Amino acid sequence: MIDKSAGISALVEEHVKDGDTIFVGGFGHCVPFALGFEIIRQGKKDLTLCRSGTDILFDILIGAGVTSKVVFGYLGNPGIGLGHAFRRAVEEGTLAYEEWTNMAMILRLEAARQGVPFLPSRILQLGDIAGASVDVRTVNCPYTGEKLACIPALEPDVALVHAQQADKAGNIQMIGVDGDTVTGAMASVKILVTVERFVETAEIEKMPEVTRIPGYRTTGVAELAWGAHPSYVEGAYGRDDDHFRAYDSEARMEKGLADYIRRYVYNCADHAAYTEMVGKKRLAELRAQSSGRKIV
Amino acid sequence: MNDLPVAARLALAAARELVDGEVCFVGIGNPSDAALLAKHSHAPEITLIYESGVVDSDPITKPPLSTGSPSVSQGAKMIADGLAVFSELQAGRIDVGLLSAAQVDPRGNLNSTVIGSYHSPKIRMVGSGGAHDIACLVNRLVILMPHDPRRFVEKVDFITSPGVSIRRSDLKLPSGPASLITERARFSFESGTAALSAIMPGYDEEDAVEGLSWEVKKTPDFKLIERFGNKEVVVARSRFRHLYK
Repeated sequence: MIDKSAGISALVEEHVKDGDTIFVGGFGHCVPFALGFEIIRQGKKDLTLCRSGTDILFDILIGAGVTSKVVFGYLGNPGIGLGHAFRRAVEEGTLAYEEWTNMAMILRLEAARQGVPFLPSRILQLGDIAGASVDVRTVNCPYTGEKLACIPALEPDVALVHAQQADKAGNIQMIGVDGDTVTGAMASVKILVTVERFVETAEIEKMPEVTRIPGYRTTGVAELAWGAHPSYVEGAYGRDDDHFRAYDSEARMEKGLADYIRRYVYNCADHAAYTEMVGKKRLAELRAQSSGRKIV
Repeated sequence: MNDLPVAARLALAAARELVDGEVCFVGIGNPSDAALLAKHSHAPEITLIYESGVVDSDPITKPPLSTGSPSVSQGAKMIADGLAVFSELQAGRIDVGLLSAAQVDPRGNLNSTVIGSYHSPKIRMVGSGGAHDIACLVNRLVILMPHDPRRFVEKVDFITSPGVSIRRSDLKLPSGPASLITERARFSFESGTAALSAIMPGYDEEDAVEGLSWEVKKTPDFKLIERFGNKEVVVARSRFRHLYK
């Protein structure tokens, strides 16, 4: 067995380079907040972030100044409102962006996963999205003559993923909502993962069908309970909806966002300090909200 | 009836569009509420699909904040991924889609991207998400909008999700919006432009078109809906407490 286990700061330090294109995993569920916060702590620069539907982690990474470009289908605070850092950056013209749709982003990642330059689709031939921030070429099907949009491959340098469990060989097991997490991870050159817990390889072998990323593709994996807070992990803890609401009001002003980042990122030396600040009481409440569905 | 909040009346009006047994691709918020209301009243056999990949779930006890929220999976029969459900959509296997947006125009074009110009917007919004994809690909599209004249414009600032278009048949896309539902009225796109086809309980014709920026014609089958179904109203009152905020 090749041991892929490492600490989270070593993973980020070694594998995230300034200027990289980063796929941020987690479609509402298992959002890799701890990995994202570590990227901010380490002061990485000039990153391009991509995924289909974003969570506030994306907005925080914009507000923290580590991001120079975003490639997305939806950018906001799901169910609550706008991404305030994103909105400010767009209105001030300080952020480059490519705006697609959720399906287009999934097809872009899927094309890279399959190793083809594009995938054909019927979307993006009507409306204003094609041509606004992105150039979408078309092709006539060589078999039927139908006109189709060519959705270009997007191969991220690094994927950030959080999941329930893995062995130290990096066989990543995940249940619950996926969205485009596995597609985006498998499309990427490197895959960095945090998991709620390490298990023995014998445990992985009991349910290999829930292994979504195989060990040979995983670059490195760190054990980090609560690594997806304030998002949720199926079977482990519920979503901290209050945190998302509080972010919405704080991030409205630049100063509020800076305070938020100071409190949750810079003032916490590491993830242990972060969970301590969130507090045992709150974590216990979130634990109690969990669905209880487990990988057996 | 009039004591029901706008969001509950909008859900009641839109739930009428759904037929039992249909497969339904739903957005969060009003669309999800309408689909759940239908499922718990006249259409128990509808299958709800969320873009996060969740299939045939029933999140009525805690309406999800997003398509990836924990409660979306409540009662799910399958959790697939985004690729799987968008593939079903493109292959024409989904009967009906429900969408809302910030602006709508008489052709059923929807805007959820920017207010103002694209490159120097007055208000930057969240963007398409799956809305463009649903509007292009779903067999029948139902649009839900609270009756707010500012949202009903002659021409949307940005077409995120395309409405009726003669180009659809060339591109082998389904015909797009079938109806536009507000808490006050139903508009039909049969003629290509939103025309008034029904008035919802508690409103009159003047209310239905109040403040709309375009001249609204009536469809030949125009009617007044005198009341919502008893079961629907009971469900709206008992199960949708979150709409009473």
